Amino acid sequence: MSAVLDTMPQTSEVSPGLWRLAGRRLLKDRVGMVSAVVVLFFLLIIIASAFGWVAADWGREVGVSYANPSFIAGQENLEAQTMNAAKKKDDVPLTDLSAVDPLAPWYAEWEARTKRIEVTQVERAETLPFGGDKWGRDIVKKTIKGAQSSIVVGLVAAFAAAFLGTLFGALAGYFGGWIGDFFEWFYNVFTSIPYILLVLAFAAVFASSPFLAQFRGVPMVILILGVTGWTGIYRLVRAEYMKHRSREYVRAAEAIGASHGRRMFIQILPNVSHVVLVQLSQHAVGFIKAEVILSFLGFGVPIDSVSWGTMLAEAQNELIIGKWWQLAAAGASMAVLVTAFSMFTDALRDALDPKLK
Amino acid sequence: MTAYLIRRLWQMIPTLAGVVLLLFFLFNWVGGDPAQVLAGKISNPEQIANIRKQLGVDLPYWQQLLIFLKQIVTFDFGRSWSTNEEVSHIFLTRVGPSLTIMVPLLILQTVFGVLFAIGVAYVRGSLTDRIIMIVCTVAMSISFLVYIIVGQYVFGFVLGWFPVQGWSDSFGKNLVTYAPLPILLALFVSVAPTLRLYRSFFLDEISQDYVRTARAKGLTEKTVMLRHVMRNAMIPILTDVAIALPGLMIGSFLLEKFFSIPGLGREVITAVGRSDFPVIKAVTVYLAVFTMFINLAVDLLYKWIDPRVEFK
Amino acid sequence: MSNTLSTGAANSARAVGSEKSPLLEVENLRVSFRIDKHTTFEAVKGISLAIPVNSTVALVGESGSGKSVSAMAILGLLPEESAIVSPDSAIRYRGRDLLKESADALRQVRGKEISVIFQEPMTSLNPVFSVGYQIIEILRLHMNMNGAAARRRAIELLTEVGIPNPELRIDAYPHELSGGQQQRVMIAMAIACEPKLLIADEPTTALDVTIQKQILDLIAALQKKHHMSVLFITHDLGVVGEIADDVVVMRNGEIREQGTVAQIFGSPSDAYTKALLACRPRLDRRPMRLPVIDDFMNGAAPTEFKERPRGLTPNDEIILEVKELGKTFYAREGLFGKRAIPAVKSVSFKLAKGKTLGIVGESGSGKTTVGLTVMRLHAATSGEVLFDGKDLLALSPGEFMRYKRRIQIVFQNPYASLNPRFTVGNILIEPMEIHAIGNSSAERTKLAAELLDKVGLPRTAMHKYPHEFSGGQRQRIAIARCLTMKPDVLICDESVSALDVSVQAQVLNLLQDLQDEYKMSYLFISHDLTVVKYMSDQVMVMNNGEVVEFADADEIYLNPKQAYTQKLLASVPQGFAAHQSA
Repeated sequence: MSAVLDTMPQTSEVSPGLWRLAGRRLLKDRVGMVSAVVVLFFLLIIIASAFGWVAADWGREVGVSYANPSFIAGQENLEAQTMNAAKKKDDVPLTDLSAVDPLAPWYAEWEARTKRIEVTQVERAETLPFGGDKWGRDIVKKTIKGAQSSIVVGLVAAFAAAFLGTLFGALAGYFGGWIGDFFEWFYNVFTSIPYILLVLAFAAVFASSPFLAQFRGVPMVILILGVTGWTGIYRLVRAEYMKHRSREYVRAAEAIGASHGRRMFIQILPNVSHVVLVQLSQHAVGFIKAEVILSFLGFGVPIDSVSWGTMLAEAQNELIIGKWWQLAAAGASMAVLVTAFSMFTDALRDALDPKLK
Repeated sequence: MTAYLIRRLWQMIPTLAGVVLLLFFLFNWVGGDPAQVLAGKISNPEQIANIRKQLGVDLPYWQQLLIFLKQIVTFDFGRSWSTNEEVSHIFLTRVGPSLTIMVPLLILQTVFGVLFAIGVAYVRGSLTDRIIMIVCTVAMSISFLVYIIVGQYVFGFVLGWFPVQGWSDSFGKNLVTYAPLPILLALFVSVAPTLRLYRSFFLDEISQDYVRTARAKGLTEKTVMLRHVMRNAMIPILTDVAIALPGLMIGSFLLEKFFSIPGLGREVITAVGRSDFPVIKAVTVYLAVFTMFINLAVDLLYKWIDPRVEFK
Repeated sequence: MSNTLSTGAANSARAVGSEKSPLLEVENLRVSFRIDKHTTFEAVKGISLAIPVNSTVALVGESGSGKSVSAMAILGLLPEESAIVSPDSAIRYRGRDLLKESADALRQVRGKEISVIFQEPMTSLNPVFSVGYQIIEILRLHMNMNGAAARRRAIELLTEVGIPNPELRIDAYPHELSGGQQQRVMIAMAIACEPKLLIADEPTTALDVTIQKQILDLIAALQKKHHMSVLFITHDLGVVGEIADDVVVMRNGEIREQGTVAQIFGSPSDAYTKALLACRPRLDRRPMRLPVIDDFMNGAAPTEFKERPRGLTPNDEIILEVKELGKTFYAREGLFGKRAIPAVKSVSFKLAKGKTLGIVGESGSGKTTVGLTVMRLHAATSGEVLFDGKDLLALSPGEFMRYKRRIQIVFQNPYASLNPRFTVGNILIEPMEIHAIGNSSAERTKLAAELLDKVGLPRTAMHKYPHEFSGGQRQRIAIARCLTMKPDVLICDESVSALDVSVQAQVLNLLQDLQDEYKMSYLFISHDLTVVKYMSDQVMVMNNGEVVEFADADEIYLNPKQAYTQKLLASVPQGFAAHQSA
């Protein structure tokens, strides 16, 4: 037999596949790693928040109205002063109306009863670490809880959209023919309507549907974004499958007798998964931003919950009266997360498909 | 070419049917009985009864579908559930303001996007390139909301360069006084993603073989970029612009909301808040049709810009 | 290692206008490429050569030899982000060092004094401008012509390169022309400003063999007419023999040998050059085994080989019979209509057990479609494929599964036919799993390892991914994959066409050894006539979906009866020997 002439690498351990090579490249990318750490940090915080270990009491009104952040404690706070002043009204003696007041005989009894009930009067703080909102809620805790809403929506909706888009794209791209035509028709229907309008239409309907009322809040937003957001991934996956199905390795798989299912998911999918991963990541970023806007408009998380979007909605009116910390907290933390996530996505894409820049 | 045109028009029908079915499914089936939907929002029982009669809520589904179809064809969606204004009137009067903002915005966005992208592509790989890309990424991660809130505050309230909100009846006054601030803010937000996208188009073209040939002919780098690369990159750029066209009509609902511009976007947002289905349905159907025709026009335009395209 | 280059005096016929000093001199050229932040790869390791005035120099080498990189370095056309040229290198042209010239000065040289034509004319022309525009562009740039004059000159150039109807074609877009015509347009652009040197980087590799001959003749004619020099880069020694005056042989970034064409072909001194010359299959001889590079590099140069007899005997059993096979593709046209594209029109042949049937033809002849249709990778439109008493085309997909393993295929592109995400082990075990070969995972792994031995790959390959192997090694893996099923018939669809000559020889030897051992029957599809003659017992020539001629291999090459076959044979570059006797 002809001898081995081409030089072979001497090592005999398992050679790196795509993922391990990509992993190595990613680790060497400093910007990518820093971004990954930042994203991880956010994820840890929202996991803690979801389990209630931090910020579970974000709704408690612990501060005075528009409490100043600790670092500018000295700033004038007219709203808090007004609120305190209002409380003090109780000290002003009332005009005696007992002659005409039908309830007058009972006041003494009620007064006595009230005194017997223990009321823990929470001393409202003058300042909070990053300030308070109109009701005196701690901005830091709100930001954390808000992060939870926005990020959970972003990630889960991205997975949902990626799942649908990949499934549809694989079927349409691989089979072509009338299956492909059907999915193309479906895709055309969804994309004939401008995206924002589609989302709003779904939001309008889902919000008012009695059947879907049980899903109100975060699950609903996830549903809306997932059901409308699959089209981008579909397009890409379909193109990839169309490209790969006529590649020789798939032909070879057919020649050795592989079934359609095997060809689609065991042969082709591993070659497409890196594209899907990058899309997933990009969509997560987009959905986080979309959730913020939806919550801002009131179509997102319910009233008793908080999201960066609701914080920005409140912040809108606060800026005029000089209270900028809620805007800063929500805006900045969102900016940091999205920047880190975007850079991580870019690094991931470059690691999976390196091109000499 | 006529055969192509006819085939495309023919193919629009199933898509349009699909859109109608989707909306019908959403609004009539999932959306549910207007009585429940409007329960907290309209207190007049007579009005609700009227609406139910109009929609034919008690009729079997296929009859409801026919009613819907008739509405589409006759451009008569009845009246808004909340304001009682005729939906067709709403549509016609609100499109103008939306376009007044969006058309200049699209033009400026494309022009700036192309200029910056060429510039960045020219210095590709350099420190400037990387810094600009990072700035873009950061710019894109700040929510549009923050830009508008801060922008409105700084430029309108504090500096007073522009009115904080408002709209007038005169087109000229709108364009010059009321439109600039919203357009400017939207431009800030959209330049970054546009720049990134167009830069990638240019870079894809630069790595093609014909660029090497152009250099081998002795052309200057500037000529190679502005003549050879640009002409090829315009193809995906125009596609991108074309995709944005249907969105022009609906406008930027955030801008319209913040700046009190009586455009179609704000109308839709208000309608969603009030569960005002007729308005949403009408706007969606007409925009879908509009989108399909725009797509067809763009495909025809393609032949003019890309000689490789064949009509089959 | 390199001989001194003769200055053209040996060939008196070409001495007209030759001067003593060379036109272009490359001195100690060193080029490295940056692969990532930490690694560089040296592609050219210090080569020196000279191109005389008014002559053709062929730069020969296989892939990775650095020949293209060297040529591109002359005009500074290497990718600027990754290429590093050593400051010790120099490329002297008319007293200037082109590597040290300013960008402006270099641009004056490009296109005007030195021009280039590339391998892929389709992508080398700008798709959105007409061909006329692109020719006129260079005329306006260097020759300062105005619009009307430039257009006239462009039409003249198109006529000179042999484009029919130049007044109409001048406004055509590149995609409207055929591959050969596109290359002629590239040539027209290149000679427009009467350059002194034309660099031709594998200009005919992507073209059919008949078109190749036309382009080679054109370049040779233009070289004589304009007294320009040509630096012709190629891997095909046959081409070199026909057109070159001087030859430079490169391998792995170094020059192995340089000299006149007579010296290189007649009395090569370097082992690699000798190997390269010897391991090509030839039309006039058919050794039992093709010599391979190693035979020469290790010093033991084989002298005479026994000839291998080919052809059918009356006792040969017929294993596969194809009757009136037809395959038509349909494209949509008009409003509702379909346009029929008949790729294969009524092809019939018989394949004998243990023998090879070569199917030869140019692109579009339908030869590949025949192979794919026999295996039911395309659905046939008509005809029968009789195998083991059954018509394979008439079986249901379920019934056909049993026969699938008995007819297998090795595809052309070694870089595309193996799944990049599978390890070699996975690739080999998968068919065994599908066809229930072997009783356990361990047994299958053992079988796979044995097959790796058989095709000459180390067992450590099992855990590696395809991207770590060269083209030739990947083809061996593909062959091993087929062997897992022990097929009776193996279809080799251009299986060696994408490989370097030296690697091709190894793979051909492997295929032949396997046929000798397992008595497999081969359908050997290729456009390369010399390889087909070497491998086949019988040959079938196809053109436009039809069989043009069918005969024993020796017979068809000695006495081609059909005009098309004769034309095909005449286009094969004969190499230096034939050229000299002409």
